[in-house]
Amino acid sequence: MKLTGSNVSWIGSTTGLTLVVTLPILLIVLYAVGADGKILAHIKETVLLDYITNTALLLFVVSILTLIFGVSSAFLVTFYEFRFRKIFAIGLILPFAVPSYILGFIYSDLFGFFGHVHIFLMSLGIKSYFDIFSFYTASIVLALAFYPYIYLIVRASFLKNAGSLINSALSLGMSKERALFKVVLPLSRVAIFAGLALVMMEVISDYGVVSHYGIKTLTNAIFSTWFNMGDAGSAAYISSIAMAFVLSILLIEKFSQGRAKYSTESSSAPLEKIKLRGVKLFFAYFFLSIPVFFGFILPLIWIIVFTFAYGGDTIDMEFLSAVTNSFIVASLASIAIIVIAVLIAYTYRLIPNMYTKYVTKFATLGYSMPGAVIGIGIIILFGDFDNYLIDNHGFGELLLSGTLFALVFGYIVRFLAVGLNSVSSSFEKLGINVNRASRSLGSPPLKTLFRVELPLLRNSLIIAYLLVFIDIVKELPLTLILRPFNYETLATKTYGLAVIELIQESAVYALCIILLCLVSILFSLKAYR
Amino acid sequence: MLRKLVVGTLLVSSMAYAASEVNIYSHRHYDADQQLFTLFEAQTGIKVNVVKAKASELLNRLEKEGAKSPADLFITADVARLHLAKERGLLQKVDSQYLNDIIPPKLRDRDDYWFALTTRARVIVYNKDKVRASELSTYEDMVNPKWEGRLLVRTGSNIYNTSFIASMIASQGREAAKTWAAGVVNNLARTPKGGDTDQIRAVAAGAGDIAFVNTYYVGRLLNSKKDADVMVGEQVGVFFPNQGAFDRGAHVNISGIGLTKSSSKNRANAIKLMEFLVSPEAQAIFSEANSEYPVNQSVKPSKTLQSWGAFKVDQTPLYRFGVHNADAMKIVNEVNWK
Repeated sequence: MKLTGSNVSWIGSTTGLTLVVTLPILLIVLYAVGADGKILAHIKETVLLDYITNTALLLFVVSILTLIFGVSSAFLVTFYEFRFRKIFAIGLILPFAVPSYILGFIYSDLFGFFGHVHIFLMSLGIKSYFDIFSFYTASIVLALAFYPYIYLIVRASFLKNAGSLINSALSLGMSKERALFKVVLPLSRVAIFAGLALVMMEVISDYGVVSHYGIKTLTNAIFSTWFNMGDAGSAAYISSIAMAFVLSILLIEKFSQGRAKYSTESSSAPLEKIKLRGVKLFFAYFFLSIPVFFGFILPLIWIIVFTFAYGGDTIDMEFLSAVTNSFIVASLASIAIIVIAVLIAYTYRLIPNMYTKYVTKFATLGYSMPGAVIGIGIIILFGDFDNYLIDNHGFGELLLSGTLFALVFGYIVRFLAVGLNSVSSSFEKLGINVNRASRSLGSPPLKTLFRVELPLLRNSLIIAYLLVFIDIVKELPLTLILRPFNYETLATKTYGLAVIELIQESAVYALCIILLCLVSILFSLKAYR
Repeated sequence: MLRKLVVGTLLVSSMAYAASEVNIYSHRHYDADQQLFTLFEAQTGIKVNVVKAKASELLNRLEKEGAKSPADLFITADVARLHLAKERGLLQKVDSQYLNDIIPPKLRDRDDYWFALTTRARVIVYNKDKVRASELSTYEDMVNPKWEGRLLVRTGSNIYNTSFIASMIASQGREAAKTWAAGVVNNLARTPKGGDTDQIRAVAAGAGDIAFVNTYYVGRLLNSKKDADVMVGEQVGVFFPNQGAFDRGAHVNISGIGLTKSSSKNRANAIKLMEFLVSPEAQAIFSEANSEYPVNQSVKPSKTLQSWGAFKVDQTPLYRFGVHNADAMKIVNEVNWK
């Protein structure tokens, strides 16, 4: 591909944008160079290995659980026919609407000491009780919150590719069930790993659940080193270990793709589903109900019960402003993310070389970083920038620090990956020929994008927008640290009440988060059809 | 477009300076605080603006925003962060006769950079069915082998624990503090998880026999609207350690406030709010609504607090908790207090 003037400006603006959104992360990494040697040595001698082992162990257990929940449920609802199948197919997505930290709070309120279940058992005279705060409950909570990533991606891949694969296998004399297990499942590993990579990144950056359940992961270590020992450098060093985890996950994902490309550009052949009966049907119901019930229905019942109990006291002006704030800030940030994602993905589409490929990957770094770390990165970046303006250009006040813009920028850094991945894949699905045809007819790239491609991608863009929107409405740590004065979102209100043990009083805010996310999910399902 | 954005942002940020007001970065999420700010607004017409987040994160924000930070006041739930803020040059001295008259010297900075608003004691709570108060004596006794497998405490890296260890370094030396911390780890009934309230619940449920927690968590449970919480509160007893005639007394930490270095325009308002927060009226609210001990001696503690009786307080100056905090965190790591 030769470098034309137009190419240079596409590559230039993509590079520039990527640099800006990765700057807070790069700043943090740069801090690692300034790590206090003594503190770092102390961390290495004492707890680092423990933290690494815990993180690895948590990743392993959550991966196994999410794979079981995600892959087998996608498998059942795609290839088998049974009553209520469609309800399950949608129901399995719904846990996605419940933020992991809220799920964690609800489970400790329900099953903890002197929680509802314990009190009930005591009233029956049963004295002995178990401790909800364990490694395994935390793993289960995380798995329930994150398995929908795998379910969604794997099911989409099944729907797209399985029909033709099964037909080929049948024509070679394989039985249908054998074809599913021997051909379809192994060839879906790309999708499985793609979903698993997202889950693992979420687990590595999780802070709410692991700190509540007392599991010392690398994220914990970052905060205790940074804030208790005051050494940003060593904290940055530990962050880079966490990033190394993420990079190896991404490498494994890449490796799983191998050289083969399984997806066909033609639309899939129709699928004939296998009827489930008898004991198998019973087990299928039982199995599919577990994630839907514990990931969505039970928490929702809890939330509704306590919304009725306390909602009346809580619904006031503050509540309304939290709802509007959440909605507006998430909308603004999602729009910004989609615009940036389209620009970056389109540059790669126009100029698909190694450079643009890596720039595109680089732009997604923020997704693997804990929100609070990104928050601090942005405070450093904007603080230095603002003070530079004050010192050198006669500005009287801080320009960006503590503004809504800082918060929106934080969301962009953290969640650009989500938007970029879905925009890129929808461009890929569209195929390059549309683009080439339009340009060979004389339309310049920008006109092709706006007149031809974006209209064709309308539904995919809506879905990408909604996915990002859901993530932002649920986001907590970054919002807490970057928000302006007197600024409350649904997430910060939920947390603010939960952290002072008013977990039940926070139900109405949690309900609103879930409703906003549910509406988005239903809209995106509609756009998907 | 860019110009619009810049102008827009400027407008938004300048709006925060328009009226008569005061800006706070606070670690405290309590209802009592909101109640007090509303009261202050009604009495003075000064608008109170708040950002609530973790103290350590707010400290970073304050530091990076520098001389032009909009924050006037920094409120924490622990003395170590205030000390750190002072050390990093983020606070300024306050000359207020009123504050100095009300707050005992031990509970404020030597150079008047920060002031306590309330105090809370770190005590031992015990399950009344399993332990008699006479079996308890000192913090040092918590590591006695007789408590093996019976002790509950939250994560070692929590600031309440590191501040306690720091106080031990200050009064007993590093070795003694480390031996104590190692002993705590030895006696744990389970790996630390959850907050102080979770430890109290676990003691009440019998998952351990004694727990090391702050007083106001017990008070909050006892005054809760929820039956289950009250049940937990009533199942446990509160014991103030080290009360012997020659002993140092119970460890007390503070929730406190400091005037930021950057505060200028709203400085007078900020000091007015500081003074309001230690006034008898405000102190009563802290104590009644949140079970914290008032720093204003003219205010009686809430009934709940009174029911536990008066106690002797460790006289180690509080700033020393701040001095030794990083070292305390090292001890936590060295003894693997999770």
